[in-house]
Amino acid sequence: MSERRPRVDLSSAVGAVASGMATILKQVFRRDVTEPYPHVIVPPPPRSHIGRHRLNRHENGLEKCIGCELCAFACPADAIWVEGAENDPEHPVSPGERYAKDYQINYLRCIMCGLCVEACPTRALTLTSYYELSFTSREEAIWTKEQLLEPPPPLGTDPVDREG
Amino acid sequence: MSREPVTLTIDGREITVPAGTLVIRAAERLGIEIPRFCDHPFLAPAGACRQCYVEIEGQAKLVTSCTTRVAPDMAVRTQVTSELVRRAQAANLEFLLLNHPLDCPVCDRGGECPLQDQALAFGPGESRYIEPKRTYRKPIPLSPLVNLDRERCVLCARCTRFCDEISGDRFIELYDRGAGERVSIAAGEDFRSPFSGNTIQICPVGALTATPYRFVARPFDLSSTDSTCAHCAAGCAIRVDVRRGKVVRVLARDDVEVNDAWICDKGRFAFAAPDRPERVTTPLVRARGLEPASFQEVLGEIAARCRGGRVGILVGGRLADEDAYALSKLARTVLGTNDLDHRRAFHGGRAELLAAARPMSVTYRDVEEAAAILVVGLDAEQELPILHLRIRKAARRGARVFVLHARRTRLHDLGEHLLVRPGHEAFALERIREALAAGGDGPEARIAAALAEAGERAVVLAGPRLAEHPLAADVALGLAERVGARFALCARRAGDRGALRAGVHPTLLPGGRRVTDDVERGQVEAVWGPIPAEPGRDAMGILRAAAGRELDVLYLVGVDPLRDLPDPALARRALANAGYTVIQGLELGELEPYADAFLPAAAAAERDGRVTTWEGRPRPLRAARAPLGLSRPDWEIFVGLAEALGADLGLGSLEAIRAEAEPLLAPREVPVRSSAWGAAGPPQWIEERVLFTYPLLVDEGRLLEGATELKAALEEEPFAEIHREDAEALGVADGGWVRVRTSAGDAVVRARVGETVAPGAVFVPFNQPGLPVAELLAGRFTVGVHLEPAAEPAAEEVA
Ligand code: SF4
Ligand code: SF4
Ligand code: SF4
Ligand code: SF4
Ligand code: FES
Repeated sequence: MSERRPRVDLSSAVGAVASGMATILKQVFRRDVTEPYPHVIVPPPPRSHIGRHRLNRHENGLEKCIGCELCAFACPADAIWVEGAENDPEHPVSPGERYAKDYQINYLRCIMCGLCVEACPTRALTLTSYYELSFTSREEAIWTKEQLLEPPPPLGTDPVDREG
Repeated sequence: MSREPVTLTIDGREITVPAGTLVIRAAERLGIEIPRFCDHPFLAPAGACRQCYVEIEGQAKLVTSCTTRVAPDMAVRTQVTSELVRRAQAANLEFLLLNHPLDCPVCDRGGECPLQDQALAFGPGESRYIEPKRTYRKPIPLSPLVNLDRERCVLCARCTRFCDEISGDRFIELYDRGAGERVSIAAGEDFRSPFSGNTIQICPVGALTATPYRFVARPFDLSSTDSTCAHCAAGCAIRVDVRRGKVVRVLARDDVEVNDAWICDKGRFAFAAPDRPERVTTPLVRARGLEPASFQEVLGEIAARCRGGRVGILVGGRLADEDAYALSKLARTVLGTNDLDHRRAFHGGRAELLAAARPMSVTYRDVEEAAAILVVGLDAEQELPILHLRIRKAARRGARVFVLHARRTRLHDLGEHLLVRPGHEAFALERIREALAAGGDGPEARIAAALAEAGERAVVLAGPRLAEHPLAADVALGLAERVGARFALCARRAGDRGALRAGVHPTLLPGGRRVTDDVERGQVEAVWGPIPAEPGRDAMGILRAAAGRELDVLYLVGVDPLRDLPDPALARRALANAGYTVIQGLELGELEPYADAFLPAAAAAERDGRVTTWEGRPRPLRAARAPLGLSRPDWEIFVGLAEALGADLGLGSLEAIRAEAEPLLAPREVPVRSSAWGAAGPPQWIEERVLFTYPLLVDEGRLLEGATELKAALEEEPFAEIHREDAEALGVADGGWVRVRTSAGDAVVRARVGETVAPGAVFVPFNQPGLPVAELLAGRFTVGVHLEPAAEPAAEEVA
């Protein structure tokens, strides 16, 4: 069978090229959508929970976390390690009988799903908007209780990020 | 009560069960789960929690299915088919939760709590109660091991019923009624119960929690292994919970043939020893000091010393059956010696031969169903706690219990005690035998009459104390045979019966075959090859030989002769004079200066294998975690040593060991010897005052190291128990100090004066903190003693 070649309509071809070029030209003069991170750091929307966790304290300084392990149970990625212990009534770490002797989150595992936050009965655990998590070793990716109790620093101030 | 079958319907389904069955049990058989809190299959029905309501056709009100027994043609409707029952159960759960603190996140039971589970499955979901809840101070420590949280308690009375019905140690009770009802420490009662942990396990909520497990883990953290407790020869079924390679909890498993649903507190709480920093997990060999080396190097070094040399082997009580068999074969066929022994006391009579040859002469079930039980030379609560519970169960079912012992035991509330001086058991047994024919009305005659009446349903349980005195066990056996009673010589340590059966013994080969009997030895030689025909030395003989420089190699497997055997002075000389000393075990301890080589063994929780109960029943050990470091199961070390000596034991796996051992360990008949006293003649009647000792449940044993709370709860300060008559004659006051002097040494301890020990006898517990009683012994666990009142010692003198 002989193939029928389509007829080329020169004028419509030129028109198509022109409209394509026009689209490009229009984009050239439009404002950028891409954020030039890390040169410019755009603050995330308020109340966004896209970054690492924080362990909160009560106003009197006691830790809200009671070491109950519910967050660890809820975590689908098995990223959380909690070890409970008994509070010394003279020097309690948290209100009540129990506190977290050890608390770790492994950020090589965490998928930022927030299920742990939902499971926490004391609102001790929340997600922050601090997303600048980069590590140079596996150990560094495991955050300890002391680190998690710290409020996150302003974005763009992580020493590792600045070096990179 | 008749046991006729009864047919009834539950939710329209028909089922036939024996008469007297509880409705809740019948429903279980159909797979219908009725929610419950107070009901427990091993406790008497209580009807305390009202959770198990069901509807029975023709009855106006709902009834509790845990207290209602089946009747013919009964039509039961559970929550599955009855809306009324469903509503009643939900209402009851709402009611139980009125005052519940709902502090599941801090509660140790969270995640495995029957209250949580049943509230979720059967509860209303919401409470209408908005008033303030009742609060109590919490937790209240009932003992160093058990904590009570009254707010969580649902007043099911499981814990108190356990204490009343099972252990008899009434350390907790329910007080008051109504909203103020609560569990409390029983007034005026001593809450030292070696079974307290069971109340924690059966509490259906988190009201009773264990101190060692407090806030330690959640159920989803744990990997659990079903195994057997290796702390004594009771052989309890346990579950070992491991979190990240560390044993954090031990629970009882149900096994009606052995431990019902209970374990003792030692089995439950003494699990920390293998994780102590003192544990050595690398082979060591002495160069300039003890230096780490590979297994191959150390075994090579040991093999070089053993080749052509004279070897003596002492064994402790913790070997698994397969270890014992491999060692028995290694000693005879490769090391060419019969000098091996696992015993701490020696009788070598027919009773021992029977124990080696015939397992299961008495079982837990026999004890439970017995009509008369004679316990001789055994403090069951302290030595075989679960056997003790079975004896109690039998007594509650009507068995008459008699205890012939030098000291009152915890069976005193259910049984009759005949206190005899240690060493005089055989005479008392003889008097019972005489009373069989002669009658009379003394205690001996009562025992004789009860045993004779029970006949086949009589059980005689002979304990380790009889091993101390020549042929006493045989006299007990003779008495049992005379009345047709069942007889068992009860081993105390988990490895004892297995080692005896496997021939870790100077004169017995596997299955109780005598080394000196050509036919019997030939039966083993047919499997093993040549075995030396001269009888070996027993444990003290091995020590004496080593002390006399007659041994080139002293091989100590899981034993510390300085602590475990009754002559530390001899042991020290033996260790100093042995040509080469090999230690195999978990740690070196005080043996370190004497060791020339160390072989690290795996702990019971780190290995597979079997242990044998006092009955002779094999029980499975399963590894709950990998052995620490380079340590490995003892049998592997024995096989390795044989290889280093160029021999192949043919025992490459546990299966291979069992396959080879099985025919040799099949039950056999043993020759009958008629005379009660045997060739040795009657034992000597000792006139002087004697000190006797045996270990209490919780002592300074190595496997109890690290069990801090357990020791705080149950370990006692050293004491000397003295009969009132002796105390008065000597001028010693109860609670005062007394100097105890023997030919080996002397010590000052606190006196306990009373009628709980036979006159003329002084009991001092073995291996108590601050008093190594072994130092007072001269080769036996009974020794002549001189007592005098003493002044309170200065602190360092007690230690
Ligand atoms: S955010 Fe999700 S993945 Fe990360 S720790 Fe929490 S539960 Fe686990
Ligand atoms: S963070 Fe919350 S859920 Fe996790 S252990 Fe602490 S209190 Fe429990
Ligand atoms: S403490 Fe536990 S077992 Fe005892 S009555 Fe309360 S809920 Fe029942
Ligand atoms: S009775 Fe013996 S075997 Fe049972 S738990 Fe106690 S120590 Fe272990
Ligand atoms: S289970 Fe029946 S009343 Fe408690």
